[in-house]
Amino acid sequence: MQIHELVGAVHEAAWLPWAVQYFFLIGMSTTALFLSFPAFVLGRASSLPHARLALITAVTTGISGPVALLADLHQPGRFWEFFVYTHATSWMAWGSWIVMSYVTLLLLYAWAVNRPAFYRWGQDDWRFAWIFRFLAFGSPANGFARIIGIGAGVAALGILTYTGMEVAVVYSRPLWHTPLLPLQFAATGAVGALGVMLVLGRLFATGRVVEARMNRMLALALVIVGIIGALWFAVALSGISESHTEALASVAGFTVWQRIALWAAAAIIIPLVIAVVAPSRSGWITGLIAIHAAWMFRWTVFMGGQAVPKVGSGLYDALMPTGLEGLMGVIGTFGLWIFLLILYTTFVPWAEAEVPDDGSTSSAAPQSARTV
Amino acid sequence: MDSSRRQFLGAIGQVTIGAAATVAGANSASATTGSTTDGKGASGPHWGMVVDLRKCIGCQACTVACIMENAVPEDAFRTHVSVYEVVKEGRDPAMVMLPRLCNHCDEPPCVEVCPVQATYKQEGTGEVLVDASRCVGCAYCVQACPYDARFINHETQTADKCTFCVHRTEAGLLPACVETCVGGARIFGDLNDPESTVSRLLASNEVSVLRPEMHTDPNVYYIGLDEALDGRVAGEAAYKPPLTTSLEHHGEGR
Ligand code: SF4
Ligand code: SF4
Repeated sequence: MQIHELVGAVHEAAWLPWAVQYFFLIGMSTTALFLSFPAFVLGRASSLPHARLALITAVTTGISGPVALLADLHQPGRFWEFFVYTHATSWMAWGSWIVMSYVTLLLLYAWAVNRPAFYRWGQDDWRFAWIFRFLAFGSPANGFARIIGIGAGVAALGILTYTGMEVAVVYSRPLWHTPLLPLQFAATGAVGALGVMLVLGRLFATGRVVEARMNRMLALALVIVGIIGALWFAVALSGISESHTEALASVAGFTVWQRIALWAAAAIIIPLVIAVVAPSRSGWITGLIAIHAAWMFRWTVFMGGQAVPKVGSGLYDALMPTGLEGLMGVIGTFGLWIFLLILYTTFVPWAEAEVPDDGSTSSAAPQSARTV
Repeated sequence: MDSSRRQFLGAIGQVTIGAAATVAGANSASATTGSTTDGKGASGPHWGMVVDLRKCIGCQACTVACIMENAVPEDAFRTHVSVYEVVKEGRDPAMVMLPRLCNHCDEPPCVEVCPVQATYKQEGTGEVLVDASRCVGCAYCVQACPYDARFINHETQTADKCTFCVHRTEAGLLPACVETCVGGARIFGDLNDPESTVSRLLASNEVSVLRPEMHTDPNVYYIGLDEALDGRVAGEAAYKPPLTTSLEHHGEGR
């Protein structure tokens, strides 16, 4: 039997590229938060160099992500309704509470970690000392940073769960309806976070040892992404899950999707090989490819997923952005994120962040090394 | 552009609705008197639609009437008629029409995902509606509907969809698409009332619903629906965006 659609309606994507940006940034933020834990929660001083980079990543993406989320609403002025009319059956409703808690705890944690350095900068005699005196709230004590960090970690787990489930429960889109999706978001989020950390490590010359270490972590994250991806294909091909099989069948025949599959494989294998072969000299290239891989995964899931008709034939054109308008969300949020990165690395004494002092250790106060 | 098309369609709409009113009225006696106070028993009416595909000629009068009645923006549809050419082994090609609209599902996935309870199922009569004054335009419901029956209305920036013309049925009128249907293919009425035209059609015909595997329990039924068309229609598309055009037959295996 052959069917030709003669008249059909074309549906535009209802989740815009802003949504891609949100899931990209928040995925990196939450996984970067966990990468900051070895030093700032578990107290391992040897992890400080990459934990500092992780915290920069977590905070800057953790602020710009929710901004993108707000922009994806068609009625952004009504966002308060999420908190007033919370609908318990909706993952998105829970998400609004989780996002709010996460961002609050993340900022508190970052503040606590940096408080001793704020205090020192406030004691110096210079133009902006008053700002740092204000930020330090009169004391360098930050033993509570660990407990706030753990709280932020719980909220981050909440984010990883809800962002994954929110999309995975949409059974009307077989490409999204997979229990593997939350894991994929987490693993590719870690890939992106490590990518940002590698690039930052290069920019701030944190050295080869740190770079090699982050590249090894990146390699591990890429292997995990590859394994989950292979698992998805295996399930889809085996036929044990009708929805997975349908998802593969709905896209497998299109050249654009075949190219995406090859592209995805390359985005895993190329940085993996480089990170393993030359871990201490390749931060720029592995980092940038990793960031791109995390972003591209989300673009493919969201825009590609919405390009598959639910009842009609063929593909809609959500996959490729049409014109500047579609790209504004991408350009705008990246611009905001880079602005926050510059702001944070300029005005926060991030390089002086030490293992939080809960009174059990007595380390000599490090020297202030202001950048502004 | 906008207003001129509107004016043009406006003229057609008036003529069509005027001409079709008697047909629909004669066709579905129970529905013409089907105000919300007019149902059988304590539970009142539960609205449903039967689409008799044997009678649909694909004229899109319903599509136009709906746009006129509900001020649907230019880039969207609350209802439309999909048209397919189906070629079966050893048979001549056949044109198949498939009117599509919201199914006002009894198990609507669009309702449970709404984060602010802006979309809801009307108690009793069963229409699935959107409170546009509360909707935050998150479009989660648009994703969740398995029938692509919802869209974001860019004039109101809220979710939009077929309402079974609730503003008309509350006044004792038929939905605009039913009223205007030239072939009498759309029949609307009370599923709770065993004597209604829809109930009698359901009792005396083999009917099916779209995407039964989604377990949404639709209230729109079809007579004469080909199985190959009840799900995602894996055929040659009418619209081919760039990058998919190079494909001859994309070999979707379904
Ligand atoms: S057809 Fe779609 S929009 Fe209508 S009630 Fe069912 S799920 Fe909701
Ligand atoms: S778009 Fe409106 S009706 Fe739909 S889920 Fe969001 S808030 Fe609810």
